[in-house]
Amino acid sequence: MSASRLEKLTIEHLRGSVVPFSLPFEKGKKLTVIYGENATGKSTICDAFEFLGKGRVGSLENRGLGKTERYWHSLGKKPADVSVTLQTTSSTCRATIGTKDVVVVPAEERPLVEVLRRKQILDLIEAEPGKRYAAISRFIDVSGIEASEASLRQLLMDLTKNREVAVARVQENQDAISQFWEAAGTSNPDMFDWAITEASRESGTFDTEIGAISALQTAFARLTGYPDHLASANTALTSARELEHVAKKRASEFLESISQDAGEVVEILTAAHNYLTKHPLPATCPLCESPEKTDGLAVRVDHRLAAFSKFQAAQAEVKQAAQLVQKTEQQIQMWLDAARKHVTEFEQCRAAYVWPNDIPLPISPAPQDPPHLSAWLAANSQLSIECKKAEAVRHDKKQFISTLKKALKTWEVNTHAQKELDRLLPRLTKALEIVQDERKQFTDVLLSKIADEVGLLYEAVHPGEGLNKISLELDPSKRASLEIGASFCGKNTRPQAYFSDSHLDTLGLCVFLALSARDQPEYTILVLDDVLASVDEPHVERLIEMLYSEALRFRHCVITTHYRPWKQKLRWGWLQNGQCNFIELTKWTASNGLTLIRSIPDIERLRELLTETPPDCQLICAKAGVILEAALDFLTLQYECLVPRKQAGLYTLGELLPAIDNKLRQALRVDVMTGADTVGESVYNTISLTAFLSELTRIAQARNVFGCHFNQLSFDLLDADALGFGQQVLGLMDVLTDGDAGWPRNGKSGEYWETAGTTRRLHPFKRPM
Amino acid sequence: METPSGQLAARILKRLVEEKLLRPNDQDKLLDNLAVGKLKSEDWQLAIELAQAKEKEA
Repeated sequence: MSASRLEKLTIEHLRGSVVPFSLPFEKGKKLTVIYGENATGKSTICDAFEFLGKGRVGSLENRGLGKTERYWHSLGKKPADVSVTLQTTSSTCRATIGTKDVVVVPAEERPLVEVLRRKQILDLIEAEPGKRYAAISRFIDVSGIEASEASLRQLLMDLTKNREVAVARVQENQDAISQFWEAAGTSNPDMFDWAITEASRESGTFDTEIGAISALQTAFARLTGYPDHLASANTALTSARELEHVAKKRASEFLESISQDAGEVVEILTAAHNYLTKHPLPATCPLCESPEKTDGLAVRVDHRLAAFSKFQAAQAEVKQAAQLVQKTEQQIQMWLDAARKHVTEFEQCRAAYVWPNDIPLPISPAPQDPPHLSAWLAANSQLSIECKKAEAVRHDKKQFISTLKKALKTWEVNTHAQKELDRLLPRLTKALEIVQDERKQFTDVLLSKIADEVGLLYEAVHPGEGLNKISLELDPSKRASLEIGASFCGKNTRPQAYFSDSHLDTLGLCVFLALSARDQPEYTILVLDDVLASVDEPHVERLIEMLYSEALRFRHCVITTHYRPWKQKLRWGWLQNGQCNFIELTKWTASNGLTLIRSIPDIERLRELLTETPPDCQLICAKAGVILEAALDFLTLQYECLVPRKQAGLYTLGELLPAIDNKLRQALRVDVMTGADTVGESVYNTISLTAFLSELTRIAQARNVFGCHFNQLSFDLLDADALGFGQQVLGLMDVLTDGDAGWPRNGKSGEYWETAGTTRRLHPFKRPM
Repeated sequence: METPSGQLAARILKRLVEEKLLRPNDQDKLLDNLAVGKLKSEDWQLAIELAQAKEKEA
């Protein structure tokens, strides 16, 4: 970022600059006042600075044009033709319109620019508090801190809630442990000692016991079914054997009733039937090979077989009964084998564990043989129920330990959490207090500083009006909302309600200046575009003086104005213009664009006229006469001299010169600052005005003769008389006024009248009577 | 220009260090996030717990 001095601004085809326009900046002058009537191109110059510094053209905004980029270039030109170049003592940077944005090369040389237009003043003062806040938020906005502060506040709330939960959990689990402890008989006087000891018991012990009991129970349960199974199987065997016996008997009886060898016959007939099914028409008998009676042999065989069918059924019953007997015997054997196996398993199970006392084990081992097993089972029928009870007891104990463990763990965790939070929460509370305090203090101090600054600036423009007590207040009930307050008739109020437009304009300007001066003013080019619009006459001079002194704080200050008296006052050197480069714009034309003319103060113009060869006596006398009138007007007003009263207050030299009487003429002297001594004290050379005024009284008619009228007298006068008049006036003005510091109008010392910077001290303070 | 938030963040962190609520070497780490509103609850908690732990050690 550069603070180097500005040398030249060149604008090409931006808005009114239809042809390239260059604005030179005088060396040693940080303030450039650009005067021009309306439509002379003042705003184009302001736009050029804004284009360069901010990449925008603010004067076109908020005019209902939508995107304004298409209006940036001069009529008949293209965006690519637009460029603004700022030449400084250290570098040159150029801004052009790129594809998306304004491009500045080199980017690091892009100047900081603040542009204030009259509309922005209204925004600052008349806008809603929220919009006003937005206008100055970058100077006071601490929303980042507010967001981080909100996180801290949320953390505090969350952890406070967590602590409450932890406290509740601690109490809850303490109550639970207490109940367990009381239920356990409070044998250990310390509840938590007891709980810790109990909770340290291995729940695996219970699992092993429960497993063993369960296995024993299962093994016993398996045995209990065998007596019934065997009894049923034996009954079934008996029945099967009876059935077999009955079937055999019936088959035998049936067989006897048919023939002794009926069995063999049936077999032969069955074989014949099978043969005849395959060979239905045999030529001979397949048994005896006789060809007799072969016709109808198959039918006759089937008839005989039908006669033997009951016998066959009886035989099938016998076979079936025999199979049933065999199957039932196998079943009984299977039960016996299984019972023996499970008896062995039960005994193994019993032997595998050292059983606690509450398990009533059978006195004798389980017998292998079924009749004894049945008796044994009957004798130990309670074993299963007792095992269930024992199992339930262990489940309960296991559950209790688990619950106690959980309660103890939860109690420990929450007690720890509570202690941690008890240490952390006060720190967080303190941190939040610090953040809140610092934020409020910072914002208050910041706003107060800005408000004080605004008040000082405002007081400079409106001295003694009692309107300097400006305050800037953030509305605590609304975020990002700024109120402006002021003292009016001794009451704190909103200035918008009571101040005149002129006062509000000044206030807005002061707020803007105070804010701009906070943001690296030494690097900032401040541009004030026609901001004096509604400032009234009595205040404008002080406002200009204020702007002069404020401009020194910035890298450079450009003020545009169409306020004509400013031009005149500068012409007359009535304003301190040591820092001021006054530039006048003349009428803008479509062919020439912006055109500047250089205005120089009349005293400087007289000085130039006196050096011209050959001298123009008429011009010298005319200019010198006007300047002398101004000087005498000043002196007669300053010393309240007696002049004839006139309607329009227009006085001639013939009236003004005698008004400065002898006493005053003798007393009038000016201390002219010539430098400073070794300790920095100003050194003055005192010059009396008596000789100037006496000589001017003597040759004053030269003005009328040469300067004002055509008359033959001028033919007789020498050019030297005209030059003498001009030189006397210039001499008087060089003593009385300072080209940079203005006229000695300030009477704050009470001893003399002084210029800005006390470069001139005019004595006496009062007209000697 | 340093933003108002940036200036205020530096002041806040300095105070927190003075009050031993923050370790001095955490100041720089937290500065940017505090200023731009990115210092979250967990960041606050960690920073203050670390300072607390440090004080405990001392």
